[in-house]
Amino acid sequence: MGRSSIEELRLLGAKLSGKVIQNINSTFSGGGVAEILSRMVPLLSQVGVDARWDVIKGDNAFFEVTKKFHNALHGRHEEITERDLSIYMETNERNMKELQLYGDIMFIHDPQPAALIQRKNEIGKKWIWRCHIDISHADEKVWKFLEPFVFQYDAGIFSAPAFSRHLPLRQFLISPSIDPLSDKNRELTPETIDDVLAQFHIPKDKPIITQVSRFDYLKDPVGVIEAFRMVRKSISCRLVLAGGTATDDPESEKVLAEVQEKAGSDPDIHVLLIPPESNIEINALQRASTIVLQKSLREGFGLTVAEALWKAKPVVASAVGGITLQVRNKLTGLLSHGIEGTAYAIRQLLTNPDYARRLGQNGREHVRHNFLITRHMRDYMLLFLALENPADIIMI
Amino acid sequence: MTDLAEWVAENWTLLVIPVAIFVASFVGLLWVRRQAYRLLRLGLARVKWPADLLTRHLNASSLLWSMLIATGLAVAISILPVMWKSIIGKGLWSLFVISFALTLANVISAVVEFSAPQYTLPPRVVSMTKNIVRTAILVFAVLVLLDTWGAPTTPLIFFIAVAVLLLFFAFRDVFPNLVAGFQLSASAPAKVGDYIRLESGEEGYVTEMSWKNTSLETLDEKIIILPNSRLLNSTIVNYGHPLKTASDPFRFYSRTHLIEITGSKAGNLRELADTLKTCPEGVIYYHTHRFLEEHHYLSPEPSNDFALWVGDILGEIVLAEKLASIDTFSFPTLTSLRDRLVSIMEEHLALNHDGRQALEGREFYFMKTVSVIFPTPYVAHDLREFVESVRRISLGSLYYHIFESRLRLSRGLNDFTIWLKDSLDEDELGEEIARLDPYTYTLEGLRSSLIQLIEKRIK
Repeated sequence: MGRSSIEELRLLGAKLSGKVIQNINSTFSGGGVAEILSRMVPLLSQVGVDARWDVIKGDNAFFEVTKKFHNALHGRHEEITERDLSIYMETNERNMKELQLYGDIMFIHDPQPAALIQRKNEIGKKWIWRCHIDISHADEKVWKFLEPFVFQYDAGIFSAPAFSRHLPLRQFLISPSIDPLSDKNRELTPETIDDVLAQFHIPKDKPIITQVSRFDYLKDPVGVIEAFRMVRKSISCRLVLAGGTATDDPESEKVLAEVQEKAGSDPDIHVLLIPPESNIEINALQRASTIVLQKSLREGFGLTVAEALWKAKPVVASAVGGITLQVRNKLTGLLSHGIEGTAYAIRQLLTNPDYARRLGQNGREHVRHNFLITRHMRDYMLLFLALENPADIIMI
Repeated sequence: MTDLAEWVAENWTLLVIPVAIFVASFVGLLWVRRQAYRLLRLGLARVKWPADLLTRHLNASSLLWSMLIATGLAVAISILPVMWKSIIGKGLWSLFVISFALTLANVISAVVEFSAPQYTLPPRVVSMTKNIVRTAILVFAVLVLLDTWGAPTTPLIFFIAVAVLLLFFAFRDVFPNLVAGFQLSASAPAKVGDYIRLESGEEGYVTEMSWKNTSLETLDEKIIILPNSRLLNSTIVNYGHPLKTASDPFRFYSRTHLIEITGSKAGNLRELADTLKTCPEGVIYYHTHRFLEEHHYLSPEPSNDFALWVGDILGEIVLAEKLASIDTFSFPTLTSLRDRLVSIMEEHLALNHDGRQALEGREFYFMKTVSVIFPTPYVAHDLREFVESVRRISLGSLYYHIFESRLRLSRGLNDFTIWLKDSLDEDELGEEIARLDPYTYTLEGLRSSLIQLIEKRIK
């Protein structure tokens, strides 16, 4: 970004001088929210915004419940018991007592800490709920449970317009972003990429098709293997399924076991369980890939798509959630709607490398202008300013 | 008295001879002086210097020198005691040295002053050169006089050398800048009032040039102080004097935006048209400008969201084409643009009923732009400042002054045209910019076109 854009960020930062922004989520590591906050908070500080980050404390039982909430809000059926609701409330109430709520703007991320809003009547302040999930088809039981909390917020943020619902509060569309200077996205030398491939015993003898995502049913890793096997009938290639686990996602191991069973002893399928901080490894795997997949069944935003596009990789992704904001079909990548469509798109790209390259380059430009962290910072700062001003045109 | 008369009578030759020598040599020297003047005038005429350039400084001096030489010869052959001869000789030599030094200083000053316009030397360079020469000559003359009268000069020379060295080390950082300042003044690549740009990126109006530094005032009213040595070693683009000053300066604003989800959605054309009739203008603005903002780098042909949705989701290709072909640039207000969109949809609905229904999840989601407008540091008082600011402002700023102010703030024209006409009387340039259809350019392409138009006008 240019000098003038950085000057503008500093100017916006100056307008927020004196206000403390307190971010609260459920984990310091693993998953897209923690990753964004770990970058965003220091960057906001650099442009003069006093942004801080706290995490609620919860045990495994709490995270199992919030994982169920997560799936249910995405529209999957989950058995939610009264005990589950009690665990959620008890954990939130304990955090309401233990956690200092000192921000002028309370920035609450996702459903896990959403009930902290109960202290709004006592402490006042402006409260924002950042929802990274598609709640448009949320399970009614879970939604009815969370609704009284959500309604109390001053503003809600969603990653795509279709993710929102009719809510009695202002709702904003703010896409997540990637940091181009982070280990996960910065340029790597060919030697580093080769070293990572060697570390995971992945030969470079065939085109590599990669999906990077948590081992999660909603990312459909089993469907990816099926699509890959369809492609391999006519084109020799390799598949890399690389994923990690998050502390708030106890289901990962079960999914991983299913994926390993599906892959069997196929020498062309590499299932890699990568620790959360393996950013260079993920970067190298994406850069070594011929095609990057994101065959999600449901998706919040799908940051791995932006990461792949930033590396100018041709992307085949499901037309779900925030992916459609990143991949404009046939312009910045290819969208698919099922296993067969995914296989067909992969074949198109493998047999037309010039077309694949053009899509990759367009994708990189698209990310440069719309999905880098500087744009994300700017949107947050604008939102903080807009909280004080309900007009459509705000002069500051 | 009688003794003196007797002595004179006996030794009159001893008196007459020195006087005769004095008179003869003085007359001879006057003749030599005259010839030298003649040759000097011829030489000056050949190099086209004024005849009196040097002679006016030499007239009195050369007469004095002739007298001193004649006196010296007379004393030399006189019968005066050796000691007296030595003292008188030193006195005469001292007078000659002082006179010669002053004359030489005046002559060199006159030559420098005369040559200055020819080499376009600024007055302070002329003045400094004259002072340096005078000082050097006088120091040298003092050393000769001291030597003449037997005073020890070695310690003084040593003292001067040490002083020069100390000064050099004390001001070793300043010295290159002083030299550079001298060179800058001599070569004059820029002068106060010029707008210059260095290859390293610094630019602005030259507000002051001292021997050590040069001060630039940037367009955002910051002062950059550049060491002269840096200026001298850099490639400078000099844009010359400021141009005509505007009656009111142009203050650049920038704009960025949030996207607010309204919560309304349409599943078919009827719902789309009905919601369009009543939605806030920010919704019309968002959906007719989104593609331009998100994909300005890819395609110069923006389409509106209504056309895309009607074509891609409802499959109404003919209607989509009609909506896409709406020339946004031809509408002065969002209300008129809204009316046109609705009328096209209504015409279609009159013939085709409500049309097709979108699949669940593929509905049209109405969103609106929340614009946040804020001042930038850039201010333009004339065309040069204006074009340099246009080069530097963010795309958000360019977008604000060209697109948003015209349509969303209902100004009818872009801000640049309004300012050029109202504050700078640049009607023709203003009209040229107003005629540019910004919707057919990428934002960077638009910036380039604006810069070209303004540069052309400046030239």
